[in-house]
Parts: sequence; C-alpha cells; structure tokens
Amino acid sequence: MPKHIVSGLKYLESVELRKRGLSQKEISSQIGVDRSTISHYLNGRNISMDSIELAKTILELSPKDFILITKVLFGDYKEIRQIVTIFNMNHYDPQINDGCIGCGLCVDLCEMKAINLDSLKAKINPRYCCGCLMCVENCPTKSIEILEVKNG
Amino acid sequence: MVNVKEIEGKDFNIKRSAEEDRILSFKDHVCIGCGLCEATCPVEAIALDEVAPIERKYTETYFSGHEKIAQNYALFKNDNEVKAKLCIDESKCVLCGMCSGVCPAGALDLTIGGVSIKENEAYPTLIASAEIDEDKCLFCKKCEAACPRASITIDRTLPNRADLVTGEIEVCEDDCIYCGACAELCPAEAIVVDKTTGEESIVIDKEKCVYCLVCKKACPVNAIKAVCRSCSYGEYDLDPAKAAITGNAIIDKETCIKCGWCEGVCPADAATVKQAFKGTLEIDEEKCGTCGACIDVCPCNVLSFPKSSGPGDRGTHLVKEEDYCIHCGACAKACPNGALTVTRTDIDYTPTSSKSWIAAFEALKN
Repeated sequence: MPKHIVSGLKYLESVELRKRGLSQKEISSQIGVDRSTISHYLNGRNISMDSIELAKTILELSPKDFILITKVLFGDYKEIRQIVTIFNMNHYDPQINDGCIGCGLCVDLCEMKAINLDSLKAKINPRYCCGCLMCVENCPTKSIEILEVKNG
Repeated sequence: MVNVKEIEGKDFNIKRSAEEDRILSFKDHVCIGCGLCEATCPVEAIALDEVAPIERKYTETYFSGHEKIAQNYALFKNDNEVKAKLCIDESKCVLCGMCSGVCPAGALDLTIGGVSIKENEAYPTLIASAEIDEDKCLFCKKCEAACPRASITIDRTLPNRADLVTGEIEVCEDDCIYCGACAELCPAEAIVVDKTTGEESIVIDKEKCVYCLVCKKACPVNAIKAVCRSCSYGEYDLDPAKAAITGNAIIDKETCIKCGWCEGVCPADAATVKQAFKGTLEIDEEKCGTCGACIDVCPCNVLSFPKSSGPGDRGTHLVKEEDYCIHCGACAKACPNGALTVTRTDIDYTPTSSKSWIAAFEALKN
C-alpha cells in the first residue's frame, strides 16, 4: 500500500510541476522517477484513482501530519524536502530568541533538516521550514516562534 | 527522539542519537556534590542527593546528632548499591550541556560527536588550572600529602647512596682479628664478618658504606683504614648529575579540583593554581552544631575542627583555610543548620555569544 500512496503523490508532483511549465525530462530528474512513468502519469495511465484521491487527502493534512506521513513514506530527507517544497505554498518566518540554550533538540527533530546550531543558538533556514511546529512544541525553553508569512 | 541511559555502577551516560550523538557522562568519584548542576539545569532534570559526603565512612559518627541526615545515611547503608551523588532524569534531560559547563569538578561532561564541549569554542568553559613546573619542582612530595583529592603523584628517583659518599673503608686482613665489633656497630649494615675457624673473612659493601668511620674508631687492633676520596687523592668530587634528585610531578586532571593546596605548601614555587570562582565562605558560629557534615563534603579540606583528635571528637568550633576554598558551596548545601554561607563574587569563564549561557554562568554569582 505505501507504494501506491507514493505513486499517487509522485503523480500529483508531476502534474504540479507540469503546470509550472517543466518538461518531462526536468520533472523526471527532479522527482527521481523515469521518463516513461512521468509520461504515463501525465497521460493519466497506469495510476489508480484511489491512489490519487488518497494522495490528495494527504496534501490537505496539517503541515505536521503531512511531514510525518511523508517521513514514513519516503524516509530520505531529500525526498521529504522535495515534496514539501513542491506542495507547501506557505512561507514561514522562524524566529529564535535569546532563551535558546543550544541543546540541539530541534536540530535532531527537524525532518526537513532546516535547523543547525550556530554559536550555541539554533538557526532555522526559512527556505526549508515546513511549518510543522515540532521544534516549537519540543523546545525546552520555548525559544522558537514560527510566523506564517501571508502571501501577497 | 528518546534518550538512552546507560548505567555502570554509580556512573552513567545519557545519550541522544541523531546525526551527531550527544552523550552526557557522569562520574561519581569526580563529583564533589556541590549541586551547581542542579541549580543550573534549565529543565530541572537533575537531583543532587540530600547529603553527599565524600568520606561516608565518617558519616555515622559525625551525623549522629541529626535525625534527618542519620535517616539518609541509613538509606545509604541499607542500600546494597549505594546511590550516586547525582540523579538525572533522562526523560527530561535535553542534553544541552549547561550542567557540564558549570561543573567545577568536571564530573559531568557533554560530548557532541565524540568531542567534549570543553574543546568547543562556542561553549563557555570555567577557567581553572593547576600545574606543577617540573623544572622548579624539588620532588619533596609535600603537595602529594596535602592534596585533598589524592590527585598528585610525585614519582622521584633518588641518587645512589654510594655516589654521595666521599670516602672508602679498607681492611688490612693481616691485622684484623675478626672480632665483628665493626659489623655490629656499622649503621649501614655494610660489614659482614665470618668467624668460621680457618675460614675467617671480613667484607665491606662499598655500595652501603656511608664513610662514617664508626668501624675505624671501634676497631681494637686498628685494622681499618679510611681513605678519603675527596682529599687524599685530590681528584674525587661529587658529580652533581649523580647527586641530583630527578622525577615527575603528575596531576590527575580528572580528579584535581584546582583548590591550591599544592601551591600553598610548595617550598619551591613550582605549583601554580588558578581557581575559577572568587568569593567568600562565612561560618555562623551561633548556628553551627559542630556535626561535621561540611567537613565530610568539603572537597578541598578547607574546614576542620582544630581540637579534634579524629571522628567522634568534635572539637568546639569550626575553622577554615579560605585560601583553598573553591567556593563550590557543597558545605552550605550539606549543613543542616544553614551555618555556612558561600558567596561567589566573580566567575572566570571563556567568552560565548550565547546570552542564555552567559545568564547561566552569571547566575552562579549570589
């Protein structure tokens, strides 16, 4: 079953990237699926409607649930980053206050590997922040704030 | 992200595995029971045992007047596995390393990817040191005796006694009657006389002889001749290289707490100690119940009862050697009457950009 969900998500990724004007070749190299499969996806072949429906439901989950499920499905953080950056339209402005003790718990928890420690203080790369707030929930000193940036 | 606690006797490691493993290690024999870690921990994961006497063998005698402490001691005694001085709740610990940063004894150490935070420039570290300059050291071993933590080893080599002797003794066997008086009197047991009839002999061990001339003076027949190597032949002198005491002065960095006793007792100014905390230690004699709990816990042998002849004989009042106090506060924590006040006025540590770490170090001042 996980394979079907993955192909549903890959299908949606292909369609989304196609909408953005990427060629089949570019889509293939970006999401790591061979060109013939991309071609099948884009022509609506060899993919069950149930898988697509399920993938669509997953896309509607909260950022935290979404990243946890993609972690289970893909495992590799590069793939997680890929799918999150394609579908996550929101932007976040992470802020770390001086209460940060540099324990690195957020670094270890972040599935997007968006956080590193810089001189005993956490630093979050907004480009990869998916807004799951797991770092905020687990920070022992409540030193992280993730602000959502409104588009437009 | 679950921490794993590995316990080995009274020592333990708390480990968080990720891309880089974080390991907080605790060594009970190094811990001085001061409780600075407990006060600093930002997540309240650390609990210091109520009483942490270093010499628990004295506890019963010293603490007998105090019900609470006596009960605690009973727990220690009845527990087959004596408790460690410190307990860290691994489910609360976030492995930030602040406890390791403020620990004046180095009993707690956080490593990230196998490297101690003491080696990491981003982290502040208490500046304290103890060194013995071997070029100046006379290897007298006074520091070894004074060190309250038994952290110093003086490994010395003395010159050969024979190299320091300026003469030799010779026996004229034609005159010797093998009476053995010389052998009996010799303080160095350098003479052996065999009186076996027909096989009489006298042998002087030149390695042992100290050229004191007692044998010559005692010989009833004047058979012993003394030859001074430094005058008769005019060519013998002590070789300074052979007469020198050589050695090594080794400080065990793990247990040394930089109290300064070695510097204080050194006759050659070879030991240099730098303490991390400056402050004061005050004794309120009105409140002091002369129970000796502070003496038991003090890692620096700063406190004592001057008239005490040992455990049980409590003396009348507490005295301090404040020069050697590292102001860790272990005594104040152990005192059941609040008779001791330790105040830290200055803390020397390496700079950091982290405001929360600076705040944690500054909070040690009181």
